[in-house]
Amino acid sequence: MEASLTTQVRVIAALVLRETRATFGTSQIGYLWAIIVPAAGTMLLVLLFSAVGRHPPFGASLALFFATGILTLEFFNKLSASLMTAFEANRALMAYPLLKGADFLFARATLIGATYALIMGLFFCTLIALDMAGPPAHPMALMEAFAVTLIFGFGFGATNAVIVSLLDSWRHVEKILTRPLIFISGVFYVPSALPASAREWVAWNPVLHAIEWLRNGYYANYDSRVLDKTYLVGIALCLVFTGLAGERLTRSRRN
Amino acid sequence: MIDLINISKSYTAKGVKKRVIDRLSFSFPRDKNVAILGPNGAGKSTLMRLIAGTELPDEGRIVRHGRVSWPLGFAGGFNGSMTGIENIRFVARIYGQKTNAVIDYVHDFAELGKSLSLPVRTYSNGMKARLAFGLSMAIDFDCYLIDEITAVGDENFRRKSRKVFTEKLPHARIFMISHAMNQILEYCQCGLLISPEGVWYFDDVRDLIRAYETSNKARLAAQPAPLSS
Repeated sequence: MEASLTTQVRVIAALVLRETRATFGTSQIGYLWAIIVPAAGTMLLVLLFSAVGRHPPFGASLALFFATGILTLEFFNKLSASLMTAFEANRALMAYPLLKGADFLFARATLIGATYALIMGLFFCTLIALDMAGPPAHPMALMEAFAVTLIFGFGFGATNAVIVSLLDSWRHVEKILTRPLIFISGVFYVPSALPASAREWVAWNPVLHAIEWLRNGYYANYDSRVLDKTYLVGIALCLVFTGLAGERLTRSRRN
Repeated sequence: MIDLINISKSYTAKGVKKRVIDRLSFSFPRDKNVAILGPNGAGKSTLMRLIAGTELPDEGRIVRHGRVSWPLGFAGGFNGSMTGIENIRFVARIYGQKTNAVIDYVHDFAELGKSLSLPVRTYSNGMKARLAFGLSMAIDFDCYLIDEITAVGDENFRRKSRKVFTEKLPHARIFMISHAMNQILEYCQCGLLISPEGVWYFDDVRDLIRAYETSNKARLAAQPAPLSS
């Protein structure tokens, strides 16, 4: 018998390659689109806001401030949406006994994680090259923020995938619940500058902490008064546990 | 090679729970090919899927020594928008085989020619079955699970399949579901009879076939006589 860990790594690698091919189509440029679309979308927003003469809520660069917010939020949204449908999309593959539900989750998270690392890297490098932003002040903190967002998005998506497999209408409920995220996650404003009463409310939103963590890493003196790292990591780990345990417990029900 | 430890499996359809396998424990002999016979709906394919691991038992455990194939003759795991080659590559990867070697093997064996580079959704059922069978033969399993695989391809392809199978036999075991008794006799030495009344093991495949045919006759006799004949 081969070690199950090497088998799992091999299976996930094969799934990632398959997903890449299935998501981005036959053309060589397919993967490029996956990078261009979010980057161009963010650029367009930045241009629009610059055109109406908005000042950056923090720092010198409007583009940088938006990018830190919106790219983190999109990364999270993309992860949770893609993981939520991971079981049903790979249903046909359940015929191969080597593949387990958790492998589909890991494969999709790997692909999206790599894609967004690339998108963010390219976007920030472009801003720096165009002299629209300086280099990040604390690169380590930046990477931590990215990693925690990945774990949090994975946990959220995995938990939703399990719930959807038990209760199909949950997919609509999830969409409604995550809709306001763009307004309550501090994408367009600095949460620390909110009145204390409002701050208390938005601080319940874990996505806001992910964005604050990233900004704390990028800017030298962002000094978030809202950021609670323990809160975000705690929620992320709870969700990962719930998602993976749920996957294992509902496995025989799903096939 | 495969041990079933107190396994149970039931399905619920429209609120009615039907127990297909009830606390079955059995260790399959290591050096014999096993036939699985029984009337339709008795749970042959369910047992096969449980042995393969594509379904999990509600209770109990299944211990496999060595690498067990997916139930052969099944062509459902292909992605229609991916080409034959891409599908082969994926399966080769998850089983840790050299992708090019597997592609070459399936190319020679399945005789799909240029169609291998086309999306699988353009294939006929026969082509899909040939791809699936060729692919499962390309991967070295210690145990092949065969669920009714008689009707794949033309005479020439069948002859080829039989030849490859015979080559595999010295170092691989076979679990076979079939309604063709000559095929059972050709490949299997022992077997299980699965019927709604229970599961029996026969150490000699000829006893198994005899018991199967007797139980069939008994079932026919128990039914009311046909209205016209």
